[in-house]
Amino acid sequence: MARIKKKGEAGNAKNYITRTQAVKKLQISLPDFRKLCIWKGIFPREPRNKKKVTKSLTASTTFYYAKDIQYLLHEPLLQKFREQKVLEKKISRALGRGDVSDASRLERNASRPEKTGKPRYTLDHVIRERYPTFVDALRDLDDCLSMLFLFANLPSTSTVPAKMIARCERLCLEFQHYIITSQSLRKSFLSIKGIYYQASIQGEDILWLVPYKFNQRVIGDIDFRIMGTFVEFYMTLLGFVNFRLYTSAGLKYPPRFDQAKDDGAAELGALRLETNNAAAIASEPAQLANSESETGPDPKTQAEVNKLIRQMKETDVDGDRNQNDSEKEDSTDAIDKFEPAAPGGDVLPQPSYSSSEPESMFANCTFFLSRETPRQPLEFILRAFGCKRVGWDGVLGEGAYTTNELDPSITHQIVDRPVIQAAREETGDGDGDGEDSQTSQRLAPNQRVPGRIYVQPQWVWDSINDEEMKRPDLYAPGAQLPPHLSPFVQNTQGAYDPTMPLEDQEPEGEALDDSDEDVDEDDDNLAVKKVQDTADGMDVAESEEDEEDGGDDTFGGFSDEEKPGDEDDENEIEDEDRDAELQYQRELEAELTGKPIKQAATNPRTKAKMEAKKKLAKQAKEEEEELERAKGMLSKKKRKLFEQMQYSNNKKSAEDQKLRAKRRKLEKQKAKGKA
Amino acid sequence: MASTKSNLKRKASIVEAEPVTEVLSDDEFGDGLLEGVLEDESDSEEEETDGDDDEENENEDDEADIHSDDIPTDGEEVEKAMPNDEDAGPHYRVERDANGGERYVYDEIDPVYDSDDTDAEDAENRIGNIPLSFYDSYPHIGYDINGKKVARPATGEALDALLDSIEIPQGWTGLTDPQTGKPLNLSRDELELLRRVQMNEVPEEGFDPYPDTVEWFTSVEETMPLSAAPEPKRRFLPSKHEAKRIMKLVKAIREGRILPYKPPEEREREREEEEEQVYDLWAEETPRPPNVMHIPAPKLAPPGYDLSYNPPAEYLPTEDEKKKWEELDPEEREKPYLPQKYDSLRRTPAYDQFVKERFERCLDLYLAPRVRKSRLHIDPASLLPKLPRPEELRPFPTVASIEFTGHEGRVRSVSIDPSGQWLASGGEDGTVRVWGLADGRQQWQVKLSSEDAVDAVRWRPGQDALILAAAVSQDLFFVIPPIGSPELEQSSRDILDAGFGYAANGKQQLTTAAGARKDPPAKWGRPGGRLEDEGVLLKATARSPIKVINWHRRGDFLCTVSPTGQKASVLIHTLSKHLSQMPFAKLRGLAQTASFHPLRPLFFVATQRSIRCYDLQKQELVRTLQPGARWISSFDIHPGGDNLVVGSYDRRLLWHDFETGSRPYKTLRFHDEAVKCVGFHRSHPLFADASHDGSIQVFHSKVVNDLMEGPTIVPVKKLTGHKVMNKLGVMDISWHPQHPWIVSGGADGTCRLWT
Repeated sequence: MARIKKKGEAGNAKNYITRTQAVKKLQISLPDFRKLCIWKGIFPREPRNKKKVTKSLTASTTFYYAKDIQYLLHEPLLQKFREQKVLEKKISRALGRGDVSDASRLERNASRPEKTGKPRYTLDHVIRERYPTFVDALRDLDDCLSMLFLFANLPSTSTVPAKMIARCERLCLEFQHYIITSQSLRKSFLSIKGIYYQASIQGEDILWLVPYKFNQRVIGDIDFRIMGTFVEFYMTLLGFVNFRLYTSAGLKYPPRFDQAKDDGAAELGALRLETNNAAAIASEPAQLANSESETGPDPKTQAEVNKLIRQMKETDVDGDRNQNDSEKEDSTDAIDKFEPAAPGGDVLPQPSYSSSEPESMFANCTFFLSRETPRQPLEFILRAFGCKRVGWDGVLGEGAYTTNELDPSITHQIVDRPVIQAAREETGDGDGDGEDSQTSQRLAPNQRVPGRIYVQPQWVWDSINDEEMKRPDLYAPGAQLPPHLSPFVQNTQGAYDPTMPLEDQEPEGEALDDSDEDVDEDDDNLAVKKVQDTADGMDVAESEEDEEDGGDDTFGGFSDEEKPGDEDDENEIEDEDRDAELQYQRELEAELTGKPIKQAATNPRTKAKMEAKKKLAKQAKEEEEELERAKGMLSKKKRKLFEQMQYSNNKKSAEDQKLRAKRRKLEKQKAKGKA
Repeated sequence: MASTKSNLKRKASIVEAEPVTEVLSDDEFGDGLLEGVLEDESDSEEEETDGDDDEENENEDDEADIHSDDIPTDGEEVEKAMPNDEDAGPHYRVERDANGGERYVYDEIDPVYDSDDTDAEDAENRIGNIPLSFYDSYPHIGYDINGKKVARPATGEALDALLDSIEIPQGWTGLTDPQTGKPLNLSRDELELLRRVQMNEVPEEGFDPYPDTVEWFTSVEETMPLSAAPEPKRRFLPSKHEAKRIMKLVKAIREGRILPYKPPEEREREREEEEEQVYDLWAEETPRPPNVMHIPAPKLAPPGYDLSYNPPAEYLPTEDEKKKWEELDPEEREKPYLPQKYDSLRRTPAYDQFVKERFERCLDLYLAPRVRKSRLHIDPASLLPKLPRPEELRPFPTVASIEFTGHEGRVRSVSIDPSGQWLASGGEDGTVRVWGLADGRQQWQVKLSSEDAVDAVRWRPGQDALILAAAVSQDLFFVIPPIGSPELEQSSRDILDAGFGYAANGKQQLTTAAGARKDPPAKWGRPGGRLEDEGVLLKATARSPIKVINWHRRGDFLCTVSPTGQKASVLIHTLSKHLSQMPFAKLRGLAQTASFHPLRPLFFVATQRSIRCYDLQKQELVRTLQPGARWISSFDIHPGGDNLVVGSYDRRLLWHDFETGSRPYKTLRFHDEAVKCVGFHRSHPLFADASHDGSIQVFHSKVVNDLMEGPTIVPVKKLTGHKVMNKLGVMDISWHPQHPWIVSGGADGTCRLWT
């Protein structure tokens, strides 16, 4: 006979221990425990059966997996922590005795660090343990990069030492350099939080967020010690990752750091990549080219460029047409895209639509950044997409290809300033005396260098996300920009997609509702409208009450807004309400008298629509009944699950519906504005 | 005057000569001098004690004066005179002094070693240790060794004093030696001495305070050593202790514990370099299978459209939404940000929550418990069972078409006859009524009891007769309502009467065989008089009130259950023999209901908690079903014979499949109140249950003869209409034998036909 198992000796009861127990077992302080947990990646668990684990109270305790803690027991860092504790005790004792020199000696005695000095630790082995393969490390790089980029932009304080910030900045620059040379940046997105970048390294997608270059506001109780612990780990991690990336790309790590350039805010330009061996690799480091060309333009090429520019000027008049022509040519060359005509078929993979490689999209362009544009992200993105020559205004820092705005080799200029109406004055020739001076701001406001494309910064982002150069006229300075869409959203079936026209994605019922409203707006005949609405109320009232209500709410919200055009909408809603009541009244009367409900005269169009609606409503009702029956047959657990799923789905679809309603309204407004 | 003047001037130099002159001129100057002396004395009375010392000093001075340069002439004179003195006998010479008087001059005594003269030169004045003031009244101040008066030195006149002051001689102090009365002058040596003392120098001239050390013990090996002991061995051997200490140091250096000294800045720099040391950490990477318990941190969701700095206009919040968002507590907000639109990039500000969000992410990474949640990426519709369409489930009863009213009080039991024409009902008013099912008219009624209710009515199965069994309290009546054709009535009477003769025999048999058992479980007989006229032809009286009647499918047997009857609670009656049997000598639990199997010779008895199945032929327990209900109210067996549905007072309806074991296959809880009655339709795949919440629920049940597939049960209809009175709703239901119709009897005193 098997022995009777005792309670609390196996299973959950043994698998989990509380935090207090863990700290006691490890014999370290809580902050040290926190550090260990952060570095070793140990996190609390939620036991499946809490009751079996908590022997005593039901207070919300944090549980750790017992084996995790067991594993911490053998951690070399633990020993370091203990040594540190001993040292601190010694120092405090020395200070207590008033023996300041002794304390300071203990504090900084590094001749024998093992014995007396500060214990020094490295996190190499931790990284090795946490990420047994390089790909593992890449997979976990998102948080690391976001954190380090944030710290690189923080001001130094007592809790965030300047040295740490400098190191973060350096590591980030190194990483950016790798991205540039390997051309592995894929997407980027300008959000209200900052700039998102996505790179693909060895098949791993890495997404990180970089704040805009402003002073970061630190609100609330933010414990920088915790963040510092993370940063310490991440710095080590990114150091090793960078090393690996650089060496795999045949580059020397660390790249040479030019202090003078860094002091001149050259940022990316402050680092100079060097190949590891004499045999040069295929991809020349980007900024080598940049610095080379800084020596000055070759007179011969300059002459040719000038000639070219003159030609371009001549053809500038019909430039748009030419562009269109070239586009047409492209499209004939390219593979035809097969779009499924009807849903349900299998989708066959096709080679990418664009013939040129998106990674070197800007290879043939020379950019100039005006002084109001954000230099760092633009420089990074342009270079990552193959641009070798990025110039900018002198105030933006060192390292530019050119600081001369009138440089004739510039093909694109990125401008982010409004068009000034008052200062429109004609100046003489722009490019004739362009070469003589190095001062950056020489052009009058609104003055353009001919033969050059002026775009707003969003053009760069939209171009790289769509992997094609966007039409620059949409992004011209002062133009109303098209919406900037996130490239990270994966459109799922049925979800709202702002890129698609509204008609393609709204369900039938909504479309009908929508067209009803159209009719309402078109017709001024109140009687017809009433009938329309009554029909509405009759059919839909039962099944789609909630939805209707929801829709009304949103409209109500809109109508509260500032626009005077909403006036009639509001009226309409009131009408609807009133009509619904009226209809109900009429129905009651009809029921009492036993007569059919009076049908007012309707025009054929509305009638057809009404019928369609009726059909829809009926169908919906039937479906609902069916659902109810089926739900009745589910077990309680499954029913709950089902309801939950339905709840979340409904919520999502309600959101989509709201968006569609808003868009519909906006489109209508626009149409009205045009008419 | 002139002579005195010169005298005074030379006073210091010609010491020897003066006493003579003084002695001689005692008389002349006595008065004048005395006055001055007296005055002087009065001034320096306190100095009297020092008199001796002064005298000595004076003598020394005198001697020093002798050697001074001022008196060479006198000295030569003395030396010249000396040889003369030696030649003459006496030790003195008589000389003439300046005044012409004679004067004895003694030879200078040479104080040889053994001469009387001591080293210490005696004072000139030999008056001993008495104050000098004693001589104040005399012209002399004492006596010398020769007993001569020591004359009081002449004090110069004021003019002399002035002259003296004008031409200060060397060593002049302006003081007067009180012992000698002479002016106290200091010699050059003395002055030098004083200067040295003043300058904090060593007083003695030529004293070297830092002399070279005299190296008494030198490294120079003397030819004659001080000690002749042989050199010890340890002097030749290297020190062990020192070697130990050196080895310690060497070891420390080798191990790197001792580092050469470096300035702190350099050390700092070195350390930094060391910290930044990077290498290929993944040089030999070995993929490790992921630990089951390790849950990687979830990545942050990528940004959506609404996070854009320039989103599509429909993503922007309306005023209302904005207000709502702002009113909400930051914790409760669905999103921590509001979508914003900036018309150009330069207008885009910094995100003020950036650091906070990062921090929260950090907290999530190390503080949040991670749980692996299997997210179901399935269509919720796939969870729903595939139900047959309602059209396929038809027909089933949907509406109450006929209401049978007439009973006073509740209707306890209803039953439709096997032909499907008649409905029998028994109520609490003690009547049994028979209705035409199609028209809803009452055809016949009989009052069986005035005080007790009719608990159960059941038609005998089979088309050959029209017999109704009704239970009133302990009595079981067999009724032949006069509604059918006369032939049918006659055949029914035959069936009832067939057992009369047999019953008498059987009773005798029982008594003779068993002996002890006198009482049969039920007494059969005619109900007598009035009832017989009305069609009630047979009566069996059990020991306790009968609540349930169920016929065997062939119509010869019927079982009754009287829950309070203990061992006689379940009885099986044989109609053809008018015989009642107690199948159970002892029954565990309170019997609730019992039933025959529709096909096989099995018998089911339900107690409060379990249902037992007995084989009637083998007379043994076949199986026990445990529906898990607290109190079983009723059960019915599927006409196919392999399934059973149980209703219970704890609001459950349980479907048992005999194949799947003793536990229920499905538990249905659709009622708010106790389930009173359940029943299968004999031909259609339907079953229904009646509950005290006043509703009847109709289910479609498809039973397939396939072991792999369980029966599908589909709820199809909820029939409501019966009123709930005193928490009692529908009391009994009965299916129509052919049509999908159902009849229910309710506590509101009505029966309804649902079609």
